[in-house]
Amino acid sequence: MSFDYHEPTSLREAVALGGRFGAEGRFLAGGTDLLVQVRRGQLAPRHVVSLHRVAGLDTLEIDGAITLGALVTHRRLERVPALRGPLQALVEGAEVVGGRQIRNVATVGGNIVNASPAADVVPVLIALDAEVTCLGPAGERSMPLEAFASAPGVTARRAEELLTRARCPRLEPRSATAFLKAGRRRAMEIALVCVAVRLTLDAGLERCLDARIAMGAVGPTVLRARAAERGLQGLAVTGEGLRAAGRTAAGECRPITDVRASAGYRRLLVATLVERALATAVARARAAA
Amino acid sequence: MTTDTRVVGRSLPRMDAPGKVTGAAVYAADFALPGMLHGAVLRSREPHARLVRIDAGRAARLPGVRAVITAADVAAVRYGGSVKDEEVFARERIRFAGQPLAAVAATSLDAAAAALAAIEVTVEPLPPVLDVAAALAPGAPLVHEDWADYAALPILHRDGNVCNRARIVVGDVERGFEESERVFTHRFTTRSVHQGYTEPRAAVAHWDGAGQVSVWSNTQLPFEIQATLSEILQMPPSRVRVIVPGVGGGFGGKLRIGVEHFAALLARATGRAVKVMTTCEEELTAAYARQPAIVELKTGVTLQGRILAREGRLWFDTGAFAGSGPGVASVATLMLAGPYRIPNLLLEGYAVYTHKTNFGSFRAPSGPQANFAVESQMDIIADALDLDPLELRLRNIVREGEEGPTGQVLTAVGLEECLRRAAAAIGWAERRPAPGRGKGIACGWWTTTGGSSGVYVKINPDGTVALNTGAAEIGTAALTGAAQVLAEDLGVELADVNVVSADTLSTPYDFGAQGSRTAFAVGNACRAAVVDLKAQVLALAARHLGVEPRALQVGRGAVIGPAGERVTLAELARLSQASGGGLIAHGTFVAPPTPYDAKRVEGHVYPAFHSPSFHAHAVDLSVDADTGEVTVHRYVVAQDVGFAMNPAYIEGQIEGGVAQGLGQALSEEIVYEGGRVLNANLTDYKMPTAVDVPRVESILVQHPSLVGPFGAKGVGEPPSIEPPAAVANAVASATGVRITDLPITAEKIALARQERTG
Amino acid sequence: MARLAVSLTVNGAAHEVLVEPHRTLLEVLRGDLGLTGTKENCLDAECGVCTVLLDGVAVNACILLAVRCRERAIVTIEGLAADGALHPLQRAFIDQGAVQCGYCIPGMILAAKACLDEQGDPTEREIREALAGNLCRCTGYQKIAEAVASVAGAARAGG
Repeated sequence: MSFDYHEPTSLREAVALGGRFGAEGRFLAGGTDLLVQVRRGQLAPRHVVSLHRVAGLDTLEIDGAITLGALVTHRRLERVPALRGPLQALVEGAEVVGGRQIRNVATVGGNIVNASPAADVVPVLIALDAEVTCLGPAGERSMPLEAFASAPGVTARRAEELLTRARCPRLEPRSATAFLKAGRRRAMEIALVCVAVRLTLDAGLERCLDARIAMGAVGPTVLRARAAERGLQGLAVTGEGLRAAGRTAAGECRPITDVRASAGYRRLLVATLVERALATAVARARAAA
Repeated sequence: MTTDTRVVGRSLPRMDAPGKVTGAAVYAADFALPGMLHGAVLRSREPHARLVRIDAGRAARLPGVRAVITAADVAAVRYGGSVKDEEVFARERIRFAGQPLAAVAATSLDAAAAALAAIEVTVEPLPPVLDVAAALAPGAPLVHEDWADYAALPILHRDGNVCNRARIVVGDVERGFEESERVFTHRFTTRSVHQGYTEPRAAVAHWDGAGQVSVWSNTQLPFEIQATLSEILQMPPSRVRVIVPGVGGGFGGKLRIGVEHFAALLARATGRAVKVMTTCEEELTAAYARQPAIVELKTGVTLQGRILAREGRLWFDTGAFAGSGPGVASVATLMLAGPYRIPNLLLEGYAVYTHKTNFGSFRAPSGPQANFAVESQMDIIADALDLDPLELRLRNIVREGEEGPTGQVLTAVGLEECLRRAAAAIGWAERRPAPGRGKGIACGWWTTTGGSSGVYVKINPDGTVALNTGAAEIGTAALTGAAQVLAEDLGVELADVNVVSADTLSTPYDFGAQGSRTAFAVGNACRAAVVDLKAQVLALAARHLGVEPRALQVGRGAVIGPAGERVTLAELARLSQASGGGLIAHGTFVAPPTPYDAKRVEGHVYPAFHSPSFHAHAVDLSVDADTGEVTVHRYVVAQDVGFAMNPAYIEGQIEGGVAQGLGQALSEEIVYEGGRVLNANLTDYKMPTAVDVPRVESILVQHPSLVGPFGAKGVGEPPSIEPPAAVANAVASATGVRITDLPITAEKIALARQERTG
Repeated sequence: MARLAVSLTVNGAAHEVLVEPHRTLLEVLRGDLGLTGTKENCLDAECGVCTVLLDGVAVNACILLAVRCRERAIVTIEGLAADGALHPLQRAFIDQGAVQCGYCIPGMILAAKACLDEQGDPTEREIREALAGNLCRCTGYQKIAEAVASVAGAARAGG
């Protein structure tokens, strides 16, 4: 499992190397996915390009909009004080990734590019309408995160491109997020199911104006529960309404049965976690208003 | 029972702690020798196949590769515990996915891995026997066609795919069921779980040029490994030396040969030291995990809840080789009786061959499986009879002086105290404190395994004491406990004792760190040695002080006379070295056999529990109404330890054993499909983390044994026995849902509830 | 495979090693530098026995490329005691009976140190969360959590 190793010190140099190596190279961020896969024989890159010396990839800005540089670690994200309250789902998603050793090293960008359907932070970013930006020899391009992954491990990133950042637009007023994850144990878990929601309430804080529901580990990529989202528009955010949204979302997911859980149990979890996450988001939106 | 002890009975820090907290302690996984090569093992991917051809020619020529060995390079020896059915490499027949086919030694692990990939193997897959049901079906393929030709313990009942059937018969169960007012029949199933030690199995072997081999290994049983290697290498045991530098956890998974034979064979082939370590994948596919089990239990009771009869059968999937299976099947029958007074019994334990790894001994082998069945059924019975589960147990538990299932007389029976104190601590009066919340109890008993232990004890000229024992310290602090016994008897401090252990060449024989026996047996061997040593000390002191030995006392590192005469042990040791070769004594201990009624047992390798311990667990938990997730609020253990040699480390055994037990109860299973393991990694083999394990409250009950040092009993295994049943009972109490298959996952609970409410 | 010259600072001392790019920090620590206090087990970042401190934070050495650790301060268990005196965490683990087989302990102590360095006065819940990436099979984590809490408490009390 040997490879040639490169340590660019600028974005320009990194892009040049990406252009040179193409599919024979892989960019190395935290390495918590890449190196495990290389050891297991699932990946055998000829060239590994480490990004840790490239300046400008770890910016973290919250100025209404949220900008996460690709190399922002999960541990850094989970400790941002400004993320309590309406944006708390970003913390909730980040803090359940592996253990602290993993989170100290694993990056948001690496997690996005790894494109596991069970990724924890990705559903939160999708619920926040995130856009991701890739940079390659041909220049920079952005696209909705929701459209970025098409299958487990497969994204729209071209081999010569590196992901540079994810960006979420400013949260609307009277909005809040929540994230929940189910696993067989309480830490060091790959989600059986995880859900991230974002709700926007009306001026009276009684009805939902807009919703996003993103579900992880119940399809080949993170899925949006669009019918459930539409069903919530204009709906009073009572217990029954949220329960119905959960049930609808459960009908929209496409879980498989695997060594971790059965499809039937995953549907049950989606219904429950969506309902609970929505209730939490309602409470947060009201508290912040 | 005296409580005014000086050293023993106190929670003193363990002797090997400084090395462990500084990283100075060397484990087998750390051990290295100059010029050492690295070994790796090629393992079968097929669960059952004819091995047609294996060609290592290309592999042997790769850079860095110094040897490749297969069955052709090893004597055609079959070894094993109670049945000699094992071989180093598959010769003509592959019997489990993971069975070793070849081994390589190379200058690096990378080179060894490349060599493994270059070995050419041709197999003809055969239909595998995947589980007990398949193995027992009429016309099932035989896992060992030549089973009848294998050497085996004569006492075993073997037949085809059954490598032992152990049986207990007492009274007449049919009449007992006729007399019963209610009869309950239930079936329970459990999966395989792995010991989960954090240090892989490892061995370094080195031949000395005179045909003798030394093997440094993290085995729990150095003398057994010596014997097995002797068989495999076809050499006298005296030419095989096994040394244990340090063990990172064992729990029974490091009892039998693991990688020592590969290391020794590769070292012989290359003329260099060779180190072999298991990978995580090898541990979860080809190690001595706990047998999966099926239990069928039929119990007859009166309406007042008195048990009149029990018919129980437990089938263990023992895998491709008998290994520990026959013994575990025997122990199972004693566990199926539970710690209960039952006049009519028909209990059977079966060890059944399948095409899987040969499962082995894991902390209280057969205990969690049998106890899960017995204690779950007790609650079902209590519920049906509208009796308090605690009361039902109190009506049936054995009492002091009563008989166990094989007729042994039970003494030091602390079970009632354990039950009452555990129940009181958990708040048993309020069994269902809130919706979705419930409490459960489970109780049991266990053995302190026999076998002999020898020690040498020597007083050094600086007044320190050397304890030389054949036992390995596997983490329980058993050797610290034994050293506390030694220090107590000899009148020195624990800090004055140094331990040398586990070297088959230079330490006395020890039956091994298994069966909760080490502190018990080594402690007693120390007591015997001190009797002899004190006699030497007093004789020498008497001559030195001019006082009759009778008038002298040993204490505080010195010998003291009636008129204040005094000579230190250090001084006596110096005197003795100069004149008589030193103050040194040999002590041995073997537990006296426990009498039992031999007419009651058949095929039984373990017919009585020695110095039995008794225990009760109580748990308070909630179950999420929708997801089925279990949250444990409180966990209480009351364990009759006889005498608490070192309370802090006994608590440590309880806390750790409960954690393992909760893992088996809630989250752990090795998942098989088509004879292959699906989750051979720690991502998907789910051991509890620090946020999963609740606080455990330990109540140390002390009903002193007649045999153990200061009345101690074995303590290490029992805490892992009762958690599955306690959890099952609490979940049933909280939800009304009874799960009879381990692990009790949130999924099973949630789907069972969904089914119930339609 | 070409080897790269890498300078690693481990426990305050500089070491020059020649390593292939794919070699992990764990392999270099244990193999090249003979520092076997950092342990190996799953090699999959699942068990935490390989935990070291990298610029003060806990990381799994088994999935860190050694070449990436140039110009970073690496601390292993061997670097914790100062001038022969045990670190308070090492002392507490001994005194509280938190050590059984001991194989997880180096990683556990370093993860605990990182937690206390970051948080000063964590609750038991926070301590356990900080140690969630360190599997222990012997202790059930209880005396480990108590040992860490005792050090936090002593620090709080100015001890």
